[in-house]
Amino acid sequence: MGRTVVARASEIPPGGCRLILVNGEGIGVFNVAGNFYAVRNACPHQGGPLCLGEVTGTTQSDDPAEVRWVRAGEIVRCPWHNWEFDILTGRALFNPNRRVKTYPVTLEAEQGEDGSRPSDGDALVVVVEA
Amino acid sequence: MSEATAKTEERGRVPRPGEVPVTVVDCDVHPYPESPEMLREYLPEPWRSANIPTRRDIYLSPNQGQRRDARPDTGGHPGSDPALLERQLFEEAGVDYAILLPFGSVGSVPDYRHGAALATAYNDWQIDLWLGKWNGHGRYRGSIVVYEHDTEAAVREIERVAEHPGFVQVLVGTSSFEPFGKHRYHPIWEACARHGLPVAMHLNSALGAALPPTPCGYPSLFIEWHTLYCMNYMTQLVSMLCEGVFEKFPDLKMVFVEGGSAWLAPLMWRLDKDWRSVRWSVPWLKRPPSGYLRDHVRFTTQPIEEPADRRQLLTLFEMMDAEHILMFATDYPHWDFDDPGRALPPQLPAELRRRIMSENARELYSLPATRPSVSDLKPSEQPHRLS
Repeated sequence: MGRTVVARASEIPPGGCRLILVNGEGIGVFNVAGNFYAVRNACPHQGGPLCLGEVTGTTQSDDPAEVRWVRAGEIVRCPWHNWEFDILTGRALFNPNRRVKTYPVTLEAEQGEDGSRPSDGDALVVVVEA
Repeated sequence: MSEATAKTEERGRVPRPGEVPVTVVDCDVHPYPESPEMLREYLPEPWRSANIPTRRDIYLSPNQGQRRDARPDTGGHPGSDPALLERQLFEEAGVDYAILLPFGSVGSVPDYRHGAALATAYNDWQIDLWLGKWNGHGRYRGSIVVYEHDTEAAVREIERVAEHPGFVQVLVGTSSFEPFGKHRYHPIWEACARHGLPVAMHLNSALGAALPPTPCGYPSLFIEWHTLYCMNYMTQLVSMLCEGVFEKFPDLKMVFVEGGSAWLAPLMWRLDKDWRSVRWSVPWLKRPPSGYLRDHVRFTTQPIEEPADRRQLLTLFEMMDAEHILMFATDYPHWDFDDPGRALPPQLPAELRRRIMSENARELYSLPATRPSVSDLKPSEQPHRLS
């Protein structure tokens, strides 16, 4: 495991995703309503580029005559077969035992190359442990 | 099954004096009126005086669809003489209980008023004869015939006769103008679930008022139609699974009669795969679609698929969970009758054979584990003897 500084937090807007490559492995870093999550860019189904999929919500229903739209922005659908994954946990919605790998993400104060704080002081960077 | 229940079941299999164990439950037997004219007395006017609609086959089955040896000497329709039926089915084939499905195909009658009247007539005819005068031995169970395209009439008919102890299910055809999962049919499924009556769906495609029997139109030949009519069963099954009918009616059971079953496992693979992709479109489903089969759906064996290497059927049985969902049927007196002793592959393990031949049906229809032996019945209860 190593630390990778992905971007300034402000560079990944809510609903957005930044792709990075760590040791040859693709990872998508998502901003879901101000919280950041890192998900492996490979669907556990057939290896499709999951993080290129649509970020969306999902449905719930207790009665076939009614459908509710829930969890807007928390779900990504693989671009190949449209499997739904919970960005927050990496679990497939149809079966929580089917998971995509997730990585810890932290927000840290930005540091200059010499370790000093930059002049704007309060900028945050997104750091993935992968 | 609890241990206590299992022990009771075991004891139930050891017959008391005068009882014999039940080994064959036949889930598809067709009783007929001697001729359609016999139904007149069960019809109100104006239908009593009207022509009686009969099947209008456009694909011609061998022997008019009947076993040639099942025609009574009296000239009546095969399946109309209880004495001949009992000899061929009970004595020769060894059937213990017969689930009766009148082959009226009332759903193919274009006039919904006439169709509903015929359904009522078929039910009163069953109550009078097959579940009445002719059922002294208690080995018949009946099916409530409904005109399924008129939902209100179907529900009224179910309410009218559901409490009769001889009826164990409600009968609908495979042809419809919209798939059976759609909400227009839900009142029928609700009534069946509420009364604890499974719904038996039996072939009636290409008869009377119906859509073409394939999505590509009318094939030329009987062989094509007969091979392909399972598409109706596939469509109705997928519709009922996807539309959440079994979530909405947790007590509902469906029996797919005479549609075959070897296609089931691959169809479920396709369906479950698509569900993984578009689960969001059916969020009322709380399991993969195939996950509803064991609790809600049964299939009957006839016409049993016959691969050249019959052992291959055992693999298909395992894939489709036959141990829990498959039930034996002969389709007597129809031409493609399956014999209880010969239809299933000889390599079938004994316990699986027992589940298919009797136990799955006994559980679904709450049938006893034993029945009175014929010689111990009072004369009035004896099977009808041929004169």
